Order: sequence, then C-alpha cells, then structure tokens
Amino acid sequence: MSLLEGLRFTRGDSPLHNMDPRVKFLMTMVLFTLSILFLDLIPLLVVFVLQIPIVAYGKIWREWLKSLKGGTFLAVIIFATNLLSFYFFRGMTISGDIVEYSLSLTLRFLSLITSFSLFFLTTSPDKLSLALEKARVPYEFNFAFITAIRFVPVLADEAQTIMDAQRSRGLELDKGGFLSRIRKYIPILLPLIINSIRRSLELAEAMESRAFGATKDRTNLYELKMTPSDYVALIVIILAMIVALYARFYLTPFPKIIGGVLFA
Amino acid sequence: MGDISVEGLTYTYPNVVEPALNGINLQIKSGEFILLTGPSGCGKTTFCRCLNGLVPHFYNGKLEGTVTVDGLVTRDHPTYELAKHVGLIFQNPDNQIFSLTVEKDIAFGLENLGVARGKMVKEIDWAVDRVGISPLRERGTHELSGGQKQRLTIASVLAMHPGIIVMDEPTAYLDPVGAERIFNILHTLNKEQGITVILIEHRMDLAVKYCNRIIVFDKGRVVNDGTPRAIFTADETRLIGVGIPRMVELGRRLRQNGLKIDIPLDSNEAFQSIATCLDEPQPAKTKAAFTDLDNVVGEYSHSPLIQLRDITYTYYTGVEALKGVNLDISRGEYVAIMGENGAGKTTMVKHFNGLLRPRSGSVVVDGQDVAKQSVAAMARKVGLVFQNPDDQLFAEDVEEEISFALRNFGYRDEVIKERVNWALNLLDIERYKKSSPFTLSGGERKRVALASVLAWDPDVLILDEPTVGQDYGQKERLKHFLLQLRTQGKTVVIVTHDVEFVAESQPRIILMAQGKIVADGTAKSIMTDAKNLETCSVAPPEVTKLFSMLSKYGFPEDVLDVDEGIDLITRRTKGRTPQ
Repeated sequence: MSLLEGLRFTRGDSPLHNMDPRVKFLMTMVLFTLSILFLDLIPLLVVFVLQIPIVAYGKIWREWLKSLKGGTFLAVIIFATNLLSFYFFRGMTISGDIVEYSLSLTLRFLSLITSFSLFFLTTSPDKLSLALEKARVPYEFNFAFITAIRFVPVLADEAQTIMDAQRSRGLELDKGGFLSRIRKYIPILLPLIINSIRRSLELAEAMESRAFGATKDRTNLYELKMTPSDYVALIVIILAMIVALYARFYLTPFPKIIGGVLFA
Repeated sequence: MGDISVEGLTYTYPNVVEPALNGINLQIKSGEFILLTGPSGCGKTTFCRCLNGLVPHFYNGKLEGTVTVDGLVTRDHPTYELAKHVGLIFQNPDNQIFSLTVEKDIAFGLENLGVARGKMVKEIDWAVDRVGISPLRERGTHELSGGQKQRLTIASVLAMHPGIIVMDEPTAYLDPVGAERIFNILHTLNKEQGITVILIEHRMDLAVKYCNRIIVFDKGRVVNDGTPRAIFTADETRLIGVGIPRMVELGRRLRQNGLKIDIPLDSNEAFQSIATCLDEPQPAKTKAAFTDLDNVVGEYSHSPLIQLRDITYTYYTGVEALKGVNLDISRGEYVAIMGENGAGKTTMVKHFNGLLRPRSGSVVVDGQDVAKQSVAAMARKVGLVFQNPDDQLFAEDVEEEISFALRNFGYRDEVIKERVNWALNLLDIERYKKSSPFTLSGGERKRVALASVLAWDPDVLILDEPTVGQDYGQKERLKHFLLQLRTQGKTVVIVTHDVEFVAESQPRIILMAQGKIVADGTAKSIMTDAKNLETCSVAPPEVTKLFSMLSKYGFPEDVLDVDEGIDLITRRTKGRTPQ
C-alpha cells in the first residue's frame, strides 16, 4: 500500500503545483513513453536523472523518496527475477549484459513511478477534474471520480472500525485454512457493503438538496488558464520528446556500461 | 421568504402500509426558530424531507394534501428548485460533503445552479464568514473535525441563500461545546438574517433556550405545538416521553412545592427567579451537598482490573493520539470517559482489549499483560460495544447475530442457545429473535449490538457513545440497565458527550484532552471543576450551572441531580413567599 501512499496528493506551492494540469499530464505521458521506449541502461539513466530536477522544481523530495521506498520491494523483485531467469535459461552464466539488462528494467520501473509521482503528487484532484471537464468529459463521470477520491479515506476508516468491532467479538482473521479465512471476511464485508448502500442513498438525498442537476450549464469555481510559463513548459516537453525520439531511432545501438562474463 | 404552509399532509412511503405522516396542518412564519421533537420513528425526519420536495420526488410513495414553501407547492416543483428556498442539512456531515476542499464544497450548490464565478466567490466569502470558518477556506475537507464539518454543511446551504434552514440532529456526534457553537450560529442566522430555522434535536437542555416554538410529533401526527414553556409543562408532552429540559422540570416541581416562580428554560432564568425567593447572599457553609458515597465505600480500589502505564499511541498518519496515559480502573467500577472530539477517548479504550497495541507503556487487564494476548482472548474479558451498530451487524437474524461471538469463542451449542436467550431477555428483544437485524429501528439495532456483546458475559463492558441518536425513553432505559449491570458487579466504562446522562448516573469521570488525562475523580468533583471542564470542551449540566450561581446564597456547588436540587431549594424556602 505504501507505493500508493506515495502517490497521494499533498498540498504545496511550487511552480510544478501551479502548472496547468493538461501540460503536466502531457509531461508525465512523455516521460512514461520515454521510459517504455528505451531498453538500454544509458538512455534510461538519462531519463531518470532528468526527472530529478523536476522533482526539485516541485519541492516534493520527501514524497518522491517515500514512493521510491514503497517501490523498492517490487524493484528488487524485478531485478532478481530477470537475473535469475536469464541465469537459468542462458546456460547458467551471468554476463555483464544480463546484469545491465536487469538493471535497466529496474530503472525503467523506478522511472515510471517517478513520472506518475510528478503528476499525482502535485495535482489536486479538483484541478484534475477541471481538466477532465475541459476535455468535455460528462460531469457525471467527473463527479463520480471526485466522490471516489473523497470517500477513500472515509471508507478506509469505516473498514477499520468494522474490523475492530468484529475482532472485539472474537473474530480471528489470521486463523484457520485458506477457505475458512475467506469465510471470515463475510462479517466484515457485509456491514461494509450495507453501509455503502445506505451511504449512497444519503449522498443522493444530500445532492438533491444542493440542487444537483438544476441546470445543464454548470459553472465551476475554478478556472484553467494557460500562463506564459505553461507555454514555455509545453515547448520544452515537445522538444525533449523530439530529441528523445531522434536518439531512439537514429543513435542506436547505445554503448553498454558493463561488459564481459562476470560469473559462470 | 421563509414561510411554510402545510395543509392536510398525509404521506405513506412506498411498500409500507402505515402512513409516516398523518393529517398534518401547520403554518410556519418567516423568522421563527422551531424545534421539532418526538420519540424515534415519530415522523419528524419525514416531515423535513417534505419541505424541500425529497418527499415525494425522491422517495415516491403516496402524498396527500399540500406543502407550500415560499408560495411554491412542493409537489409541482423539483427539489433542485426548492433547494434555493430550503436548505436541508442531515445528521451525518460526512455524507453531505462532496468536495475535497472547503471552498469547493460550499461552491457545489452554486455550481449546480450555474452561478457565475465572480458572484460565487462573493457568496462563499459571505458564507464562511457567517459560520466562522474563514481560516479553513482552503483546507481539505477530510482534515476537518466533526464540529468544523458540521459548520461547513451550514455554510454550504447558506451560500444558496435559502429563507429556511432545516437541520436533522446536527449535534449528534459533537462534544457539548461544539454543539453549543452550532446552536449559536443558527441563532445568529435567525436573528440577523431572519432565516427560519427548523431543528430536530434530542438535546433539549441545550437547544431549548434558542427556540421560540416547539412542535411535538408522535406516530406521524402533530400532538402539540406552542411556546417552549407551554409545551414542556403540558401533560401530553410528558406522556409521550419527550425529554423535558431539567430546568423546566425543576421549576415545575418547585412550583408544585409552593414556590411562586416562573418556569425557567435554562440555568440563568432559573437563577433569576429563584434568587427573588431567597434572603441576602451568605457565604457557603459547605462546598459539598452530601458526603460522597464513593469515597466512603472505596472497597473496590483494592483490586485493580485495568492498569495503563505511560501508554503512548501514534496512528500511521502521524497523529499522536495518546501521549502518556496512566489509569487504574478497579473491579466493579462505573467510569465515564469524557472530553472533546479527538481527545483520544476511543483510542484509549481500544487498548483495553488489545485492538490497539501501545507504542510504549504497558496495559495490564486482570493481571495479564495485554501485549502477550490475542484480541480474541482479551475480548472474552473485555466486551467493547461500538458507537454505530451498523458497523457490526451482518447476520441473517438476530439470534445468529448474538451467537456469532459465542461461536468464535467455541462455546457448545446448548450453552450458546442458553446464552442467546438470556441476552435476548436481558435487553427485551426476544420478539425479534428471528427478524433480520437490518429491518429493526436504530434504537433496536443498538440493543442487538449490545446483546451480542453481553451474551458472553464479559467482566468489563465498554460502551462507545451509547446515547447517540437515542431518544429520551431509550436513554432512560439504558441508564437503568447500566445501574443493573453495576449491581451485578460488572465493570462498566462509557465514552460519552452526554453530560446530562452522566450527571444523573454519577460515575467516576475521566476527562481527556489532546491525548492526555486532564482530570479524574467523582462526578461531583469533576463537574464543579470549571477550569478542567473548559479545557476538555465539556459544559457542566444546567443544574450544576444553577447551583454554582446559587452558591453565593449559601448553597453547595456540587449538585448534579434535579431531585437533589429541588430538595435543597425547597428546604431553604419552605413557608416563604417572594417579596
């Protein structure tokens, strides 16, 4: 869960926080694409290192490190499974190539985490929903999206309370075989589901009482406006994309860092 | 703006035979402050839903008669249109906050109405200012406390400029000081903006001084309607079992005893009129009314049952919920834990059965270190009943619900049967044995949840907010039930905001604030400790407020009970007439 924890938006004030969410989303998508596009260690290192100044720009060092930390376990698994599978399928040797390839896959994973962190850590869901609205996504979807985010902590609290209540009645979740353990979740899931149904009814009532659906021309408290710096960022992102594409298709193959047989 | 006219209103929910409202006629004028009351299930919530058209538009069902709000017949106008006239606020603030930030949530209604951005900002400015949450404007809604959330819900409907605000038990989850603040906001809106306020409330003692009219519902009908004084002295009201404010009760009984005073609504009024019947001020002879029985008995103090030593607890979010708590609870004690929302009360009691493990310090229950035991093992000794029964009910019928824990503990079938029947009897719910717990009313569900814990007869019983959402009659039954448990030698711990409930059953009180125990002592000593009460956002009961004012006439300060108060005043004024 800590991996997702690292992706949670925390309010802050930085040029990255104030960047237009559409431009920022494009940036994340470009970083995402680049991480997928390259397979070699050197360009992936470049992509990864290039993100670090952006992290600094957004003043999200702590949150970013937290999400990296959350991703460490998976990163180690990615590295180990690649290394081992190559080891077993390629004649029980470990060459520099194999280590380098496993490393680049791991780095790609960390790069992906970073690119998403850059977006989600600095974009409030409200702004995100505004961007969706500008993209002409129907308001109902938008509302569902915001409501989902709004009620995640509420539901988590409720699930915890229900679990506590049933454990206080002697329910032992970690005892018994696989099937009986699954059965033990019924006393937790049922109240959770029933409460959610009840809650959705109450929510609907409250929405009606706040004039939901009164007019098709719904207004929004917030407004999206591209500033000059957003245009600058847009140009930089597009240029970076072009350079990277050029490198990918015309500068290959990239030199290797680690070579030779390390272990046989 | 703000007028309501109800003529011949009868309403039946779909798939139900009995009408929820039956032949209601009411005229409500702009600027009134009305309290709706009546026992649970009397139709007052349904009535509120009629005012903004949720009934019949949202609920369907059969509606007869007409409800007219500001000249609009609710049957012919959709709820989103009526929302501009009637702001309806529900009990649970969490289920009516849609947005992630405060200002965005206030904007929700205005956005729906298509209000232009510039005007919207002005309305939000105005609304946050009215309810005093301007500094919280840009906060995330999940960071707010219960009281702040409730104030946000007021601001959110206020921004749409309704002439009428209707609130359904807004203070159910709030500490007394938070509740008072909500009432004050409503009072100001009523006085300064001329907004009609309609309030459903069980906390009569707090709410009565703000309203100028009370409407009593029972079984879907209006059974009484008038000024607070008229309503609370009328016999009909007493018969239905609506809670009478303690000061009204005191005034009424003093009059019966021959004292010629006006019926007071709160402690200030009571003091004014009682003072006219008294001699010159004189210094108090004793501070205490009667010797504290608890201090004399003290026999339990030799066998500590629950011992907390320096416990601290921090949630994964980084919130330090407990900061070094030491506590001893003896076998057979009756303890109330009080304090503001977020003081760490529930966190602390969750340590008693090992649900939470302290980050440092130790918890010993009945000689066993809780850290070395499973929750299930501790739960057999310590029964914990949660605030909301819906967080635990899941079974097909009540019988199965109650036997759930017994099965977990591995009792034999015939023992389970016996225990279930015993618990059903104890709480007077045998007739629901085969009913689904979900079809029962709120108060009944609460009793099923209680029975499902009592069934295994734990030594210690912990109740988290047992009085929330309970009407007067249900609270009275609970009070007697707890006393009954006490006579059986059970240790009972309640976590509560309900000062009147505490004052009348007089447990040992533990006051908490910001993760620490601030004061610990007998009900009498704590309820007269103004400084610590304030730190913990607890207000003393009205009777105690009255006697702290009367103390300069030589009365003792520590009177918690109406009967005791009446007795003291009557003895002093016997044979006198006011000057």
